[in-house]
Amino acid sequence: MQFELSHVEKIYTSSEENKVFGARDVSINIHEGDFLALVGPSGSGKTTILNLIAGLILPSSGSLKHGGKDITSLTLEERTKHRLDYMGFVFQDYQLLPILTAWENIEFPLQLKGFSKTEIKERVDWALNQVGLNKMGNRFPKQLSGGQQQRVSIARAIAGRPQLILADEPTANLDSKTAQEIIELFLKLNKDFNLTFIFSTHDQRLIDQVRTVLYVKDGQISEARTHHV
Amino acid sequence: MNAFMYLIKFSYRNLFRAPKRTLIMIISLSLGCGFIIWDLNFANSGSREIMKDFLKQYAGVYHITHAEYYDSKNKKEFNTYRTMTDDELEKKELIEQSTRRAVAPVFISGEKKTLGVLLTGLEVEKEKKLSTLYKAIKSGDFLNSTGSKEIILGKKFAQRIEAKLGDEVAVVGQALDGSVANDLFKVVGFLDFGGGDLEESLAFTQLSSAQEFLSLPPDRFHQRVSFDVETEGLPKLKQLGVTSWFDLIPEIGYSVQFIDNITWFACIIIVMVVSLGLSNTLMITFFEREQEFNSLNIIGAKTKWITFSLMIEVFIMGTVAILLGVLMGYLAVKYFYYHPINIELFTGGKPIIMGGMTIVPLVRFYALPQYFWQVPLMIYFFLSLTMIYPLIRVIRRSKNAI
Repeated sequence: MQFELSHVEKIYTSSEENKVFGARDVSINIHEGDFLALVGPSGSGKTTILNLIAGLILPSSGSLKHGGKDITSLTLEERTKHRLDYMGFVFQDYQLLPILTAWENIEFPLQLKGFSKTEIKERVDWALNQVGLNKMGNRFPKQLSGGQQQRVSIARAIAGRPQLILADEPTANLDSKTAQEIIELFLKLNKDFNLTFIFSTHDQRLIDQVRTVLYVKDGQISEARTHHV
Repeated sequence: MNAFMYLIKFSYRNLFRAPKRTLIMIISLSLGCGFIIWDLNFANSGSREIMKDFLKQYAGVYHITHAEYYDSKNKKEFNTYRTMTDDELEKKELIEQSTRRAVAPVFISGEKKTLGVLLTGLEVEKEKKLSTLYKAIKSGDFLNSTGSKEIILGKKFAQRIEAKLGDEVAVVGQALDGSVANDLFKVVGFLDFGGGDLEESLAFTQLSSAQEFLSLPPDRFHQRVSFDVETEGLPKLKQLGVTSWFDLIPEIGYSVQFIDNITWFACIIIVMVVSLGLSNTLMITFFEREQEFNSLNIIGAKTKWITFSLMIEVFIMGTVAILLGVLMGYLAVKYFYYHPINIELFTGGKPIIMGGMTIVPLVRFYALPQYFWQVPLMIYFFLSLTMIYPLIRVIRRSKNAI
């Protein structure tokens, strides 16, 4: 299924005279299996574009579609369900629930989706296996290293088998070695399961590995590069 | 596991996020709950024990009389021509726990003065068994059950008519056959209630002497006074009238009601204060997790789901606190049932004078079942109010974006 942003603008207005463009005339087509990075300095609009794709914020103008369906026409609760059904998220600071074990953190979105107990077990074990933490499921986040926490976060994102994974600066809090391992994990998941990834990043190692790089400046996509990894 | 059970599990786990804070909230709420239950039972038992003490001295819990003996509108007024017999009493089991009295307003003349007083004829042995009136005789003796024409006067009344122990006083009144009743009675004792009006307005003699004085046949009398303080409610009689102490001395009844109501009011204030403190703590707890709520929403948890989870979290905490509080309250009440409190602790060592009588009761706590569900309900109500504001604030502040 294709995610499509067409001439999207997002304007933040604090007063009539003071308008800030979070996104300006952004048009992106995201296809299945894409491995794409939004690159730019802080405040360039990368995160705004991620928020728009996720339906977390609505565009001021332009269209936002998923499989031909207009996301902007959905209510807040419908957009939340849409994210749950089709998207997975990886955060810079992992955002794991400290009161749940790694296994239970991965279980969380599956419970929200209403999967059966057997299906949840199968999916969580599969996801833990994919990120190489199948023996650490009963550990709480504070008992895991930063890299391990990010792996749990990735497992949580992929467990529901989403069509799209949005990752906000996923390697920013990790040391070089761990960051490289996480990048390799993303590549493996993309290759093995044709999972679609969109990153916001300024990590050059990640930028070097992605097929499509969209450079964002002042809310606009200033340049797009595609290369074979 | 269905969605609701998962929600409960999730909320329960969140209680262990900051265990010390949760523990403090549970302790403060359970202490509040336990104290309120204790306090309400104390007020109830206190007024009940005081009333029991008061009613046992003289007034009784209820009076069985001729249906028209007491004025229907003003129970302070009575008609001495309306008498009764035990044959008219359909529930004979009431005889055991009650005593007969014949009552008449009379004039009593001492050496220098004549004053009006309410003369009551008593069944001496039964009265000694059921009431504590005999304990109020501080000089002289109580009436002799085999004697006749003996009289006990209130201390102040005796002082005013200058009557001494052993004196004969002249008693004049209205006999029920229409004649003027008059006779001489021997003063055998003085009533001392520790001060108050009753020492000026009461006099007692043997029932048979009062009946003879009032020209009443031996089987006729005015009141059967019950001292059954344990049984709730009044007996239902078809022929005769039953009047409760509350109707006979409403000013005392309203005072007791006032104490009970003011205690409830104070308890509600306590719960409100505890709730305000709790609301503040909940606000801090919720705000600390603001970013987490945002992340939960991003990964697919609806606002409704997050709100429910917070509500269940507070509800679980409240339930644990309330259960502990109810248990603490119950144990405290039980303890003071076996170790009654002397009410003088609260009056600076002075006795209570109520309705013209001195009362020094030991307050034995009785657990009133209704408090054990009314208080939890009240706390649940205020707990619900408590979390509304923090919930609204946290939902409004949620930015729903990465």
